Amino acid sequence: MGNLLEHMGIERDRIHFSWISSAEATKFVDVVKEISNKVRALGPNKKLVKDYN
Amino acid sequence: MKFITIDKKNWAKGIEKSRETYRLFGPVKDKNGFFIKDLEKDMLPDMTCNDSVMSVKSVLFPQTEKILFTSLDEAKEDHHIMKQVPFDPKPRAVVGIRPYDAKAMELVKMNFDTDEFRDPYWCDAYEATTFVGVGINKPGPFDFSTSTGTGPFSETGLDVLMADLDNVYLAKILTDKGQAFMKSCGFDKIADEKESLALFDILRKEAEKNISSHIDSSKLKDKTVLELHEAPFWEDIAFSCINCGTCTFVCPTCWCFDIQDETKRKSASRFRNWDTCMSPLFTKHATGHNPRDSKTQRVRQRFMHKLKYFLDKYDTGIMCVGCGRCVKSCPVNIDIREVCKIMNSYVKGN
Amino acid sequence: MDTCTQKIREIAFQLLEKKEVEKVIGFSNGTIPMATSPITIASKQDTEKLVFNSTCGLNLANYIRQQKGKIAVIAKGCDSRNIVTHMIENQVKRDQIYIIGVPCKGMINKSKIKALFEDEIYKFDEDGDTLNVESSSKKEKLNKKDYLRENCSLCQHRNPVIYDVLAGDLVKEQTIEVPYPDVEKIEAMDADTRWLHFQELTKNCIRCYACRNACPLCYCPTCFVDESGPQWVGKGQDKTDVNTFHFLRAFHCAGRCTDCGACVEACPMDINVRDFTRKLNKDSLDMFGWEAGLDLTKRPPLDAFSPDDPNDFIK
Repeated sequence: MGNLLEHMGIERDRIHFSWISSAEATKFVDVVKEISNKVRALGPNKKLVKDYN
Repeated sequence: MKFITIDKKNWAKGIEKSRETYRLFGPVKDKNGFFIKDLEKDMLPDMTCNDSVMSVKSVLFPQTEKILFTSLDEAKEDHHIMKQVPFDPKPRAVVGIRPYDAKAMELVKMNFDTDEFRDPYWCDAYEATTFVGVGINKPGPFDFSTSTGTGPFSETGLDVLMADLDNVYLAKILTDKGQAFMKSCGFDKIADEKESLALFDILRKEAEKNISSHIDSSKLKDKTVLELHEAPFWEDIAFSCINCGTCTFVCPTCWCFDIQDETKRKSASRFRNWDTCMSPLFTKHATGHNPRDSKTQRVRQRFMHKLKYFLDKYDTGIMCVGCGRCVKSCPVNIDIREVCKIMNSYVKGN
Repeated sequence: MDTCTQKIREIAFQLLEKKEVEKVIGFSNGTIPMATSPITIASKQDTEKLVFNSTCGLNLANYIRQQKGKIAVIAKGCDSRNIVTHMIENQVKRDQIYIIGVPCKGMINKSKIKALFEDEIYKFDEDGDTLNVESSSKKEKLNKKDYLRENCSLCQHRNPVIYDVLAGDLVKEQTIEVPYPDVEKIEAMDADTRWLHFQELTKNCIRCYACRNACPLCYCPTCFVDESGPQWVGKGQDKTDVNTFHFLRAFHCAGRCTDCGACVEACPMDINVRDFTRKLNKDSLDMFGWEAGLDLTKRPPLDAFSPDDPNDFIK
């Protein structure tokens, strides 16, 4: 899925996959922080945004 | 009757001038065929295209149209009260429309503008639009418009009918709206009435002689709905159908739509989208029951509507203008001309 | 392919006469040039209607599910792979289908031929490897090899992989040096160019769903675009909805698509929706060594887990 979206032009770092059990709270926090930083670094997404006309 | 000669050298200038008053639409060549587009500055309508892939109906009836909107913010006074999307009253003109598409607009009008109901979106757009048609000198092989009550030089539904004559266009003004459009372009060179009428007559006869495809729907009126409905040939006709919406979407006389609400945070909009009776979802009830669950029922419904129900209800001919778009675009080559032949010649018990 | 037509008619006649199958699904001549129409034959007199030529671009595996009794179907190389996929996915049973295999030399690209003419084509016929095409303004004699559909020119499985009888001699398989040049071309673009490419690709889409409905893999009772509780994708022409339909449908076919080209053949707007599925086919091959429909005993990669599956994308 990530590859297909990247193929379409959407930056690969906007989509992330992870297996986290509900007992792995620390891992969850770390992954979320990492994802937030990566996506924030890319700036606001302008592709695949619904227009509303 | 007023006729105007337009030197083709002056055509582009006149069209540009009309932009002061009109929003223009017309056929434009794209890599895969001709499409009816909103003409931006310096874009001219292509007057030589015989058959556009999609019909002109999208000018009055866009595929996706926002019709109502409201705010969901309960702090606002008018929250949850739907308001109609304001209509853009700027006059519109479709330039380069083919006569069969104009007839189709008249057909569709029977549905959207009745004594009991008036669809404001379609009707407002219709009233604001001027249809400037061009006759088809060389009809294509899939044009069977003379069998459906129209033809390559038919005037029904048009405000102006133009004939393409090498270096000039000869325009026949049919209505006041047409006159107003010509004036806004600055086209005012009057042509001799008698000569022009004669010329149009010759062109019409020549063009009609060039129509190579015909259908016969004369016996449909006398057959009963039930005998056609229960006929055994529907299973075979429907087999190859893949239930996409292609025939519906390219057809200039198809008018069905679906209304959907979409919300985003604190605002909601109601949209009208084209829908197709070929889709199983079209007749699915809220209970889950679907009266047209099978493909055969849906295919039968389409052709019965086009060739029988409409014919019986309005008594002005079949609900087809012979443009041939469905014949060309159907992925599995289901041909309405063949179906009409089968229906027209069907005798119960054979 | 003419001898194929004769053989197909003979085989169909035999099958129906001996009542080995209830019906035969094949192609019949269309009513317009370059068209053929899928047809079902139930009586042996009608076998004369069956034809097979280079305009038979649709995938008949689309019509074989949920049939009563045993049926025979004409299958080209790609179609036969879809039949294998149907069996793996429990959509048909092997003993329900009698496969009339047709080794295929490729289908023609109808829009490429139409683009050669300013006006409508009114006559078309095939004479071996030559195509004779005529409109009211000109006549063209074309070399079929130059007008094959893109997927056919890159095809490496022209012979049916499964069949009960062959309606023609096996053809030599092509060896393709670069099997995914179209995907590599897009991969070489930067993100914004790719985005524009895909926007341009889908700009004429009218959401008719001909691509989805012509695809043998798309058989969900309720497609994700028709789901309303919750509604995943809007039904309108908003570009985001249109693109979502396309890439998500491609994703549902990942690892199952045989590149038969029925989707592009069916599209009234000639959109090359294969740009979406081809990337996934290439990834299937690169990441899992997998090509759909070649092995009745194995399940597609998205259906099965193996400890060696590539894992680099998961944190």
